[in-house]
Formats: sequence, C-alpha cells, structure tokens
Amino acid sequence: MEAAASVPWWVWPIALAAVGFVIGVVAVLAGIGGGVLFVPIVGSFFPFHLDFVRGAGLLFALAGTLAAGPQLLRSGMASLRLVMPLGLAGSICSVAGAIVGLNMAADLLQILLGVLVIAIAIVIWRTRGSEGAIVDPDALARLLKLEGRFTDPAAGTRVDWKTHRTLLGFVAFGAIGFLGGVFGLGAGFANVPALNLLMAAPLKVAVGSSALIISIINSSAAWVYIHRGAVLPLLVVPSILGVMLGSRIGAHLLETVPARVVRWLVIAAMLLAGARALLRGTGLWT
Amino acid sequence: MDLTQATYARWLDIATRIGFVISLVAFFVYVSGAVEPLVPLEQLPRLWGLPASRFAALTGEPTGWGWLALLAKSDFLNLGAVALFGLVTLACYARIVPLLFAEGERLQACIALAQVLVLAAAVAGVFTGGR
Repeated sequence: MEAAASVPWWVWPIALAAVGFVIGVVAVLAGIGGGVLFVPIVGSFFPFHLDFVRGAGLLFALAGTLAAGPQLLRSGMASLRLVMPLGLAGSICSVAGAIVGLNMAADLLQILLGVLVIAIAIVIWRTRGSEGAIVDPDALARLLKLEGRFTDPAAGTRVDWKTHRTLLGFVAFGAIGFLGGVFGLGAGFANVPALNLLMAAPLKVAVGSSALIISIINSSAAWVYIHRGAVLPLLVVPSILGVMLGSRIGAHLLETVPARVVRWLVIAAMLLAGARALLRGTGLWT
Repeated sequence: MDLTQATYARWLDIATRIGFVISLVAFFVYVSGAVEPLVPLEQLPRLWGLPASRFAALTGEPTGWGWLALLAKSDFLNLGAVALFGLVTLACYARIVPLLFAEGERLQACIALAQVLVLAAAVAGVFTGGR
C-alpha cells in the first residue's frame, strides 16, 4: 500500500479506464455483468478501500445496464412486465445488503467476496442455458401476466413465452439483490439462471431482462453508498468511460470471437481475483 | 412492444445520454484543476485506502445530502454528476405509473408505484438514517 501511495494520482484513473475497457469487452462477449469482474479485480489489485470499490462497482454495473436498456427493451429481449415485480423484490433487499456491507469489517468482506467469486466462477462453468418448452404458469404468474413474445433474428422465429415458480423467483431475486448490495456486484451471473432455469424464461429474454433488473436493483443500493460517502468520482468516472467503450468493441467482436474461449477467460479471471481477495482478507498476501 | 415499454425505453435512452455527457464534462473539470476540489487530487492516494467513514472524518466530507452545499467544489460537482445515474430509473418509473393506470393495468401500476417509493426513499437517505 505504501508503494501504491507513492504512485502519482493520475496513473490510477488511466489504469481504471484500461481495466474498465477490458472488462467491457469481455463482459459483453461472455454475457455477464461487468461488476462481478470489476469488484474482485479492482478490490484485489488496486489500492482503494473496498468501500469505494463496491460503490464504484454498483455504479459501474448501473451505467452499463442503463446504456444497454433501451435497445434491449425495443428489441423485446427485455420484458418490463417480467422485470418490474422481480426488480422491486431485489431493490428492497439490495438496500438492506448495502447497509450490511458498509458495516462489515473489510477483511471479512474480502474473504466472503473471494469465496463468492470463486463459487460464481464454478456456477458459470457448470451452468448451461435452457430453451425449454412453454410452461404452465402458476396463479401469481397469471395474475402478473408474466408472458410475452419476441422475434429471434438469429433463428428467424417468433417465440411465445410464459414463466412459472413465481414465488421462488421472488425469493431468488431478493437473495440476489441482498448479495449485490453487500458486495457491489451487478449479479447478472445469478439473474440469468434464476430467470431461465428457475422461472423458464427463454435464454435471450433472461439475458436482456437481467440487465434491466440490474439497473433497478443497483439504483437503490447506489444511494446507500452515495449517502455514506463511499463514492469516489475519481474511481467511478474513468471506469464507466472504459466499460462503455469496451462494451461497444465487445459487441462488434461478438460475431468473430469463439464464445468458449471467452467463457474460460472469464472463469480464469474470476478464480484469480477470487483467490487474491481470499489471500488479502486472510492477511496472507496484502 | 406496448406503449409503456416503448415510453420507458425512450426515457431511459434520453436520461442515460444526458447523464453520460454531464459526467464526462464534470470529470474533465475535476481533473483539469479548473475548479478547486475539497480534497486536493494529490492528497487522495494517502486517503483512498481508508474506510469511507474514516475518509469522511479526515477530509470533512459530508454524508447524506450534505454534499449538495459543496457543488461549487469540483469533486462534489463530479459526485453530483455521477449521482444522476442513480436517478434515471426513478424518472423512468415515475413516467410509466400514470400510463399503466390509464391502460387499466392497476396491479402493474401499483408495483411501479411501490418501486418509485422505494427508490425515492433510497434517494432521500431514509435507509441510511437520512444523514
């Protein structure tokens, strides 16, 4: 840390913009939220306190998903009808998570973050998307009209979809919101399986709606960090600019880079960052 | 795409673009030194490794909405610009509530209204003790 303090201040915003750029490229290619890479990487390899890194992580994921939202809604890949009730459950719990996170010791947070990130890497490794048949919606899903239709340009077909297990979906998004608030993660890694595998939304709708849910959940949690003075603009703005540029490049590369390569790159980066957070939290490598 | 989703998308698009432009301008004002910050940039590397509460205590940085009084300082002008991103979803939801009521979607309208209240409470600092 002493060595880091002797580095001129302007080096760090440039490094953050570069990291944000790379995460932006990789996150788009891997179909995950950038926050899950940003927090463990910046929290482990940069000199900022984890309070500021988590605040930046929330705003980082928020800015990226806000920017993607309009296109996802217009294309029908995100469903506002599906997003609204789940986003409400998630945002209430994310506020609770943010308050808990800001009252926890940094070392304990680093350890838990390390464990969580390694677990997420394993989930990403093990999870496969599902394009199951139309399900029979439960009473709550019918009441909330959690259904829709979108055109899949790749397949050239119109897909009608419905969801089920709505109550379990609420519980899942409550838990996801809480963890997102504690660790400053976007939690797209968990939203997609919850929407796709648990509630049976088509994979593309799950991915698109996940981004919109992140923008809702993080909006409430971000204010807890802002009010507690845990947002450093010098950390946030370069990261946001980097991820915006990187996301655009990533979207162009989407057609040419093999998904399998990117997937393993993300898993490797998360395992490395998770291990570093664990070692830092336990005091073995500070 | 229904009217509510189209309206939400349009408001989200416009509000996010405005947020990005304002953040970018405010950031360059901050790092260029054109406007004086509360905490000089050169001092930040000695402070940003501290917990947020300790950072605030040492720098005299206010918590809650106290930063609004310091918008003339470039670091808080920048914080204000970044905070705009936290208002985008609230603005979009506030716009679709009357649309949903007008369409007779009462349950969805009530959910959207509840989301507006949660976000407004978070913005107001209710969940953080309103400091």
